Amino acid sequence: MDIVLAAAANAFTWQALLAIVIGTWAGIIIGGLPGLGSVVGLTIFLPFTFGMDVITSMALLIGVYCGSVYGGSITAILINTPGTPQAAATTFDGYPMTQQGKVGEALGWATFASFFGGVLSCVMLIVGAPQLAKFAVNFGSIEVFALVCLAMLCIVGVSQGSTLKGILCGMMGFLFSMVGSDPITGADRFTFGQYALSSGLTLIPVVVGAFALSEVFVRFSTRDDEAARIPEARLIFPGLRDIGRRMIELLRGSFIGGFIGALPGTGAAAAAFISYASAQKLSPRRKNLGKGEPDGIIASESSNNAVTGSSFIPTLALGIPGDVVTAMMMGAMVIHGITPGVRLMADQAQTVYSLFVVLIIVNVAMLILSKPSVGLFRYLFKLPQGFVMGGIVMFSFIGAVSVRGNPLDLVVAAITGLLAYVLRRGGYPLAPLVIGMVLGPELESSLRRGLLISRGDFTAFFTHSTIASVLFVLIALFIAGTLWSGFSQWRKDRAAGESPAA
Amino acid sequence: MTLLRASLAAATLVATTTSAVAADTLDIVVPFAAGGATDIVARSFEPIFSEQLGVTSVIRNIAGASATVGTAEVADNEGNPNIIGYEPAGALSIQPSLKDLPYGPESFTYVCRTVSNPMFLMVSKDSDIDSIDQLVEESQEYPFLYGSSGPGTLPHLAMAALTVKSDLQAQHVPYSGSGPAMNALDGNEIQVMADTETILENYDLKPLAVFAESRVEGYEDVPTFEELGMQDLEFSVWQGIVAPKGISQERADAFADACKATVESDRFETFADKSGVSIDYLGAEDFKAFVARRVEVNKQVLKDAGLTE
Repeated sequence: MDIVLAAAANAFTWQALLAIVIGTWAGIIIGGLPGLGSVVGLTIFLPFTFGMDVITSMALLIGVYCGSVYGGSITAILINTPGTPQAAATTFDGYPMTQQGKVGEALGWATFASFFGGVLSCVMLIVGAPQLAKFAVNFGSIEVFALVCLAMLCIVGVSQGSTLKGILCGMMGFLFSMVGSDPITGADRFTFGQYALSSGLTLIPVVVGAFALSEVFVRFSTRDDEAARIPEARLIFPGLRDIGRRMIELLRGSFIGGFIGALPGTGAAAAAFISYASAQKLSPRRKNLGKGEPDGIIASESSNNAVTGSSFIPTLALGIPGDVVTAMMMGAMVIHGITPGVRLMADQAQTVYSLFVVLIIVNVAMLILSKPSVGLFRYLFKLPQGFVMGGIVMFSFIGAVSVRGNPLDLVVAAITGLLAYVLRRGGYPLAPLVIGMVLGPELESSLRRGLLISRGDFTAFFTHSTIASVLFVLIALFIAGTLWSGFSQWRKDRAAGESPAA
Repeated sequence: MTLLRASLAAATLVATTTSAVAADTLDIVVPFAAGGATDIVARSFEPIFSEQLGVTSVIRNIAGASATVGTAEVADNEGNPNIIGYEPAGALSIQPSLKDLPYGPESFTYVCRTVSNPMFLMVSKDSDIDSIDQLVEESQEYPFLYGSSGPGTLPHLAMAALTVKSDLQAQHVPYSGSGPAMNALDGNEIQVMADTETILENYDLKPLAVFAESRVEGYEDVPTFEELGMQDLEFSVWQGIVAPKGISQERADAFADACKATVESDRFETFADKSGVSIDYLGAEDFKAFVARRVEVNKQVLKDAGLTE
């Protein structure tokens, strides 16, 4: 108990609290600006931490991280442009709600779901870190392959209308992700002999082009000014009764996010898509998903924020950084003389407990700061539309290039923007493109690693482990279910078409 | 694309024409994203180095394509005295033999090697394998899988060299980094891995042998490969500073002096102690010869292991 109190005392210093407030608020704003996401935010703040003590610097970085994951949802809901790739799935229902004039409710649900997911994942981290880490180790390449296949199926659900067009866009995203170095042999492919392309196409420039830039083009090409107007941002928190009604959705999203976060290398964007796909199958209001249903926002936001806490599980329990963000945190720890690794929990218990306390405070701070942040965006979007759109273009390009300082990314963002505009005009959904891009690399490398491990025998995948078998059965059920409902719909349509004649 | 190339060429031209003289600011290119293992060392190195040199420096993270994009950026600034690169071993001594790159070992003015850590061959702590002989023997029945942090990285090369020089039967499975590879080792997806002391300590693994010419302090009971009868198996993870070629001798000397003073400073030593990297300084001439030798050795390994023609 003493150690917990001492840890809390460490976290409740004015320096740490100030760092949390600054970090979280800056994170929300950075996350909200299209193109600037978690990694850029952390890169900006990392140098400041060199002069701070370890808890304060962790507080600042965790604040930026959690804030940015939440902030991405604000622009996703307001202008159909996810501020970060993690919030891409929030646009599916968030923007339709805005179009129906329910912007306050949409932002309210996003905020509450983010808070709920964040806190629940802190609890999972505190209570179950060692067990979850041990379970996550069972997820080898073959199990990850099955999981990613399952997630890929959500392309069908988000294709709004034309499954064929959705699959086409998904394939396109998958193809984009293959440009550059082959993950297994290291050889260059699809580079057309251009050295600049050998570093590949990364997610941020493509997301920025597909959502932010294409949205700007669409708005400028619509003559109907009324439809292009950005509604005033408000924040209406859901009532207790509503929360109770959707508790299952909140819990499911948070647990999915919490679990995906514990798997090294999967990430919040994938978690949001997987959670959305499960809501499409399991939510009692699944018929309305994609048309402005709060369950969709909950699925996306609770899961992506649940990743924030649980991504520390592999870091703390095994010393393995789960993603780029936790790798940066580990870097910050190293600077302060704490070596992450299997013995971190034993050697540095007090620091680890302080980290838990900080995580919880950050989530509370996020809830409190959501109101002024939304207010700030309301003020920003009140500016003449030319300025707002110009600003979005500018930040998109800054975000695209700042990820890795490669000028190629500017070209990629611009070309994707134009391509996405054409696709949108042709009625092609863009979400599958991003899903293909997010999940493509993991799908490919886990499949190829799996084949190396099973010595080239694909049938061995199905019987490799219980987890893999269960996941493949789920996939089979999903496909069978989709085909069956498509078939019965077709029969109904045909019967309806024949009856007037009869 | 042509436009991009033209503007890039223009930018380089501007850079080379305007800054042929040493200015007050120095760009330090780190070819990895901020926060990575190399970046952390570079960021601890940078303030001391710029103080010694009397300039203001900025770290630029230019990541991608196994660190070759950032390295190419340094090479591309021929004659520019205001840019240096904090480089990892792979980008200087492996990638040029593996791929068609816009730079080669002769594109740089070598400044110094800062740190170097020998690699260990290791297995999971729960593994019943206790020696190299046992490893080789058990691999005859059922070939092992070894992990790496990506194709063409040092962990890959060291193991590939071992399979060539010994009877070990093992196949390569690359991961996206040391972290995911460790997860796989924990789950017994792979059985062996070559990496540095940092990994060995952080993940609590069992070392079988060390890829160095003599035994390593703190691991006196871990044999070298030479003792086990295998020649020329020396691999270490090192980092160093390079500048573009074509800079004045005076400037090159200034860089070299500042680097020497930095690695010998107490501040850098304290950092190295804390973060588990070993300072292993080599001056300009020695570093150049060292890289040339490593390029040759690695080229041969790549060829023997069938990774290049």
